[in-house]
Amino acid sequence: MILVTGIAGGLAQRVAARLLGSGHDVIGVDYRQDVELSGDIARIPVYRASYNKSAFEDVFRRHTFDAVLHLGRVGNLAESAGKRFELNVLGSQKVMHLCVQHKVRSLIVLSTFHIYGADARNPTPIAEDEALRAGFEFPQIADAIQLDNMAGAWMYQHPEVRTVVLRPTHVVGPNIQNTMCTLLRQPRVPYIAGFNPMMQFLHEDDLAGAIIAAVSGSVRGVFNIAGNDAVPWRTALAICGAMGFPLPSALSRRILPTVFRQPPYLVNFLKHPCIIDDTAFRHAFGFRAALALDEALQTTVGRAS
Amino acid sequence: MVNFTDMLTVDRDVDQAIDALENRTNAYGYDAWGFSPAVAKRGYTFGKRVFLPYFRPTVTGIENLPPGRVMIVGNHSGQVPIDGAIVALACLLNGKPPRLVRAMVERWFPNVPFISDFLFRCGAVLGDPVNCRNLLLDEQSILVFPEGVRGSSKTWKKRYQLAEFGRGFMRLALQTDTPIVPCAIIGGEESIVSLYNAKTLAKWTGVPYFPITPFTPFLGPFGYMPLPVKFRIHFGKPLTFSGRYDDEDSVINEKADVIKSQISKLIEHGLAERKSVFY
Repeated sequence: MILVTGIAGGLAQRVAARLLGSGHDVIGVDYRQDVELSGDIARIPVYRASYNKSAFEDVFRRHTFDAVLHLGRVGNLAESAGKRFELNVLGSQKVMHLCVQHKVRSLIVLSTFHIYGADARNPTPIAEDEALRAGFEFPQIADAIQLDNMAGAWMYQHPEVRTVVLRPTHVVGPNIQNTMCTLLRQPRVPYIAGFNPMMQFLHEDDLAGAIIAAVSGSVRGVFNIAGNDAVPWRTALAICGAMGFPLPSALSRRILPTVFRQPPYLVNFLKHPCIIDDTAFRHAFGFRAALALDEALQTTVGRAS
Repeated sequence: MVNFTDMLTVDRDVDQAIDALENRTNAYGYDAWGFSPAVAKRGYTFGKRVFLPYFRPTVTGIENLPPGRVMIVGNHSGQVPIDGAIVALACLLNGKPPRLVRAMVERWFPNVPFISDFLFRCGAVLGDPVNCRNLLLDEQSILVFPEGVRGSSKTWKKRYQLAEFGRGFMRLALQTDTPIVPCAIIGGEESIVSLYNAKTLAKWTGVPYFPITPFTPFLGPFGYMPLPVKFRIHFGKPLTFSGRYDDEDSVINEKADVIKSQISKLIEHGLAERKSVFY
């Protein structure tokens, strides 16, 4: 039996559907209200609990899990910093403790490549041991950095739980509602004048595949997951069929977070590259993204390729 | 009359030279660092039509470039990186076979809009050890200026005196077993004459240095127009070093000094040979 956190999210549902398809029993949990599951995954039992609250412990008391997929990181800055700290840091800490207490064999923690930050000094590609530069300019991302670091330290503190931390690049796909996808689905998408950084995109199905590979594998560690190929931002827009329009760099810090609801730390991703190296993951788990970059982008915006 | 349509077409030599390069780009026409052969063709065409007639570079010793990975190490000067562009043009157009040189740019440079983006498409790369190592392991050619901004910000008094060399290039060459080709760039140091580096202005404008030329007081921004000096590029024989890449700084310094003195010799020779700065 496998526990999936963040089941209200499109990615968690894709993963759950795959797990069901391969004969696993799945339990879902989310802190958000009104989780609606449709289709094959409608029969998954879903609990509503904040990961940092004691109600969440009951889920572990009622079921015995072989693996926990902690996909419920809150990336959305609409939640206050305090709430994000509770869910992402305290919540993840509780997930980890419960895994040890209830002898869960594998724990997969979904982190993000946002913590590297898109910095002018970024080398290409960025391996897992590179500095996490995002917090230096954007302290708002502290909860995500701490989640990642905590899970990394956990690996040697509790070797009895095989922990895998995944840092995927920009996740896209028809069922994903993150900032990047919302931006790409606009008819007119901003770019920062004079900057056109290289970008990678990972389709939800490929990330789901990577998560399944991580559960089924036997290796522990922190891993980047990249999609296939990299293109400049404006080429990505052309592939999506979106019209780009320029924003002056000086104004982008104001306009993107307000008008386009971009978290401030994502503004720099339209300015400087953050190309990650997923060689380690490919070697450790024999996994490789299947979708070509244009397919990944076009299915996200509902454009037939 | 100048025919502007002709100006925009890709030069035939550039087109052939870039087509002759080994294709390292993905299905969308880019490599991971953002090099785009299509944009590079226009960039090199611009360089060939504007820089070559203006600076009339002569190139000697291009045959010294060994096949496969190589690190070209040159003297840096001239306030703006024209020297890098001329070496890159020389390697592409004079190299047999044509060579794409990945010039390593300063860390503040990616913050410069439009120009940084354009140079990355033409093959320039942020000067970071990880980038260098990856490019060398991919059997590419890189161009490094170990003097960094100490070199490009040189004032008139210090022309052709090599500033302090960094050690990073030598450690990388040892680590990746890469031959180093020393390269003297004559002319660059007289192209934009800096009398004084206005550090306060540099701080205000956020640039690493702010040169004041003799023409700045009269011509303002036009005072930074490079003079039509003649460029002379001399490539020396490739040198291969052995030893530990993580050895003490003093050991690495000794090896870096070998390259530095090779470049100095090439510069001396080049300066002795030339009869005028302008022809």
